[in-house]
Amino acid sequence: MAGVVNTARLSARLASRYAPRQSTRRRLHVSSRQRAAQNYTMPALSPTMTEGNIATWRVKEGDSYSAGDVILEIETDKATMDVEAQDEGKLFKITQPDGAKGVKVGQRIAVMAEEGDDLSSLEMPADDSSASASSGKEEKQPAEDRKTDSASPKQEASSTGGSREIDPGVSDPKEMEKPYAESAPTKPAADRTQKHYKYPLFPAVQQLLHEKNISDPSSIPATGPNGRLLKGDVLAYLGQINKDYPSALSARLTKLSHLDLTHTVAAQPTQPDQPAQKGEVPASKPDIELPSETEIAVPISLSAVIATQKRVQSTLDIFLPLSTFIARASELANSDLPARKGAAPSADELFNSVLGLDKIPRSSRGRFFPQISGISPLPPTRPARKAKKADIIDLLAPKAAKSKEVGRGQIASALGVSAGDNVFSVLAGRGEEERATEYLERLKMALEKEPGRLVL
Amino acid sequence: MFKQLIPRATARSSALRSIQHPSHVSRLSPSTSLLQDRIVQRRGYATPAEEKDLVIIGGGVAGYVAAIKAGQEGLKVACIEKRGSLGGTCLNVGCIPSKSLLENSRIYHQIQHDVKNRGIDVGDVKLNLTQMMKAKDTSVSGLTKGIEFLFKKNNVEYIKGAGRFEDQNTVAVDLTDGGNSVVRGKNILIATGSEATPFPGLEIDEKKVVTSNGAIALTEVPKKMIVIGGGIIGLEMGSVWSRLGSEVTVVEFLGAIGGPGMDAEIAKSIQKTLAKQGMKFMLNTKVTNGDASGEGVKIDVEAAKGGKAQTLDADVVLCAIGRRPYTQGLGLDKIGLETDSKGRIVIDSEYRTKIPHIRVIGDCTFGPMLAHKAEEEAVAAVEYLTKSYGHVNYNAIPAVMYTHPEVAWVGQNEQELKEEGVKYKVGSFPFTANSRAKTNLDTEGMVKFLADAETDRILGVHIIGPNAGEMIAEGTLALEYGASTEDVGRTSHAHPTLSEAFKEAAMSTYAKAIHY
Repeated sequence: MAGVVNTARLSARLASRYAPRQSTRRRLHVSSRQRAAQNYTMPALSPTMTEGNIATWRVKEGDSYSAGDVILEIETDKATMDVEAQDEGKLFKITQPDGAKGVKVGQRIAVMAEEGDDLSSLEMPADDSSASASSGKEEKQPAEDRKTDSASPKQEASSTGGSREIDPGVSDPKEMEKPYAESAPTKPAADRTQKHYKYPLFPAVQQLLHEKNISDPSSIPATGPNGRLLKGDVLAYLGQINKDYPSALSARLTKLSHLDLTHTVAAQPTQPDQPAQKGEVPASKPDIELPSETEIAVPISLSAVIATQKRVQSTLDIFLPLSTFIARASELANSDLPARKGAAPSADELFNSVLGLDKIPRSSRGRFFPQISGISPLPPTRPARKAKKADIIDLLAPKAAKSKEVGRGQIASALGVSAGDNVFSVLAGRGEEERATEYLERLKMALEKEPGRLVL
Repeated sequence: MFKQLIPRATARSSALRSIQHPSHVSRLSPSTSLLQDRIVQRRGYATPAEEKDLVIIGGGVAGYVAAIKAGQEGLKVACIEKRGSLGGTCLNVGCIPSKSLLENSRIYHQIQHDVKNRGIDVGDVKLNLTQMMKAKDTSVSGLTKGIEFLFKKNNVEYIKGAGRFEDQNTVAVDLTDGGNSVVRGKNILIATGSEATPFPGLEIDEKKVVTSNGAIALTEVPKKMIVIGGGIIGLEMGSVWSRLGSEVTVVEFLGAIGGPGMDAEIAKSIQKTLAKQGMKFMLNTKVTNGDASGEGVKIDVEAAKGGKAQTLDADVVLCAIGRRPYTQGLGLDKIGLETDSKGRIVIDSEYRTKIPHIRVIGDCTFGPMLAHKAEEEAVAAVEYLTKSYGHVNYNAIPAVMYTHPEVAWVGQNEQELKEEGVKYKVGSFPFTANSRAKTNLDTEGMVKFLADAETDRILGVHIIGPNAGEMIAEGTLALEYGASTEDVGRTSHAHPTLSEAFKEAAMSTYAKAIHY
């Protein structure tokens, strides 16, 4: 169970890492400056999750949080998971309170503000998410980005003094060659250069653009790797060198960047008697669903234990309940069990094994505890108990107290264990079968051979 | 209640350990146990023929990088290596051990000849060759073990043995520990590397007549050593033994040392420097015969274009005339794969052979035989598999010779540009004008840029000088990005560093250097 929770936490962390990023992006592009608060939507904590319940908000309205803090707990049909904050911020408003059920992924659950924002003057952003389901939103997101991307340079141009409204796609090069200084200072030009290119421009290119007052480098055909604008491209654009030269040079260098396999001649043409059709491998075998847990059981006789118990009682006049014997035997059997099969080895273990220091078998403490049910001398109805999953403590401890009243001689049968064979079973997870078997064997040894040593 | 018990319990755990497995362990719940049994049975059949996504033959630089990359990409991958340790030629008998010897022999040489000028007086300096070899072996074993560790970390199955094709999807392995095994792979990557080309007429015994393998493991410093072949391997190993006290003569058939790719001006310059260090060069000289039957080795040489013959004596002859692809015993003919006249396996631009799920990378196919080229190809080949595109720019693969000073270059050299009729500009900057080189008293060499005359785009960078091998990374990056020399010249370089020479050489190409 602990494992399940851990993995769930991990995926929650991954998902929440992703979730705020989306909203950050939105803040940069769509919601621009006037809106500092952002919507916080229901994160998808697993790929299949479509909705979840809000268990509790760990951060209250108006509280600040920093990266790594658990903001809220979300309940899904599978588990309850913590959602951690990725950045610092402030919780402005909770729109889906504790206990809200069936909140769709992508639906707004809160509004977050920046650290240091004055919450009293903040505007609530529009809830742009509640209607759209998660999948729909993901498809919409890039489109939105694109729209805003292409829109923003226009805005920028009009806001910086406005004489040139240029669509970057169809700019007029003649217009561009005019001295730029008269209408706008050089700074916006630099800004614009940054806008059009994904990459920062090369220093020599930047220098030339400024020197020659070229404001829109995107109109210059780029011949560099991945469409990068090179110094030669600018020179060609300015007419200082042959216009076609940069592309010819690029073509030559591109050719050089590949292995020259054109003159490859096979040495001695061997008679290939390979089968005509490329023999494809037979269809893959169907995957078998492995059971996640196996119950492993061993019959263990408790007669030695009961004999010891009686002996201790008669000689020392101390009554030791059977649970003590079993608990101690279990403790002993759990220590140094062989490592779980398939458990990921640590880096140290890997390195040791490379160095040949892994001759000592890996071992770790087990966490097994047996379920016990008596068999042989019990009445026929007894075996039904076998299937019942009851903890040994439930089985033994409370009843042991009661049994004192009944009479010490009858302890064994009253407990549902017999003096003869009892079935001790444990549930072993996948890959743990070997460990479980080893555990049971040790338990058997301890209880059957020398139970006295367990208590003395 | 449990905590109290722990000390008592552990004290006896050893007694319990020795229990024999009792046979009466039974499984409950019939439904699961039935399934379990069936699985166990099936597993018994399935394991030997389990099909991998990728089977790699060869655990050298190409093979191990591909294996790790494939592991990282989530493929089920096995890597077959017969050497007994990973890393191939490079790590075991090539780049790495030779660099250990080069560095340590350089220190020895420097202490003997150079530190006095620097104000350090040392007493008797003695060479402990055994210890020097031990230092080399420690470096090597540390690195090869490191790769084994990375294999485990990335879930690569490491099969020790020699692989051979059974059919297009099956590789039979003769295991090193004896026995056989069979691996099936949806895809197979051949990365079997190369071996030193033997010199016809001279039998290699790795004692008197050695290849690079033997040259890194000589047990004593030979008095006289002849190096056949003035390429990178020959000059590096020649340097090592020359520094340790051998009289080294390099015999080269061509008119220049350094092998293909090295700029002619640079080659001349390094030849002068090495000659100053004590190496002798016989260029344009052909080895006609060799005789290793006596105490030493006798080598007959004559001028390449015909001329007077001469006999050279040596204690050890290093044969470093090149390397050839190694595909012996791989069973290529069994699946109909072809090699060219030089033994390279024929591939297409995506490293596929004519059987599309079998790819070839590294020394056993085309391109320069360099470890880092193989590494690039390894990543690219795996990415072709998983992402259907991989990137290798063969015009931006640096080459380095680790003599002292080092020689490094990337891109084209002057000879090649002239041959192609490209108009180019040359800019260079000597280390004598570099402040850091001056303070280090290590001023031999220069940085040289070749740029397109029209566009200023960098076409090649050639460096000879201290740490040239590190500096060439910047040139490679510039080339990869299509930068001009002005771009490099306008980029800040820390002061005082050797890299300033790089910047100044770039400046001198498009304008003028400040300090020269």
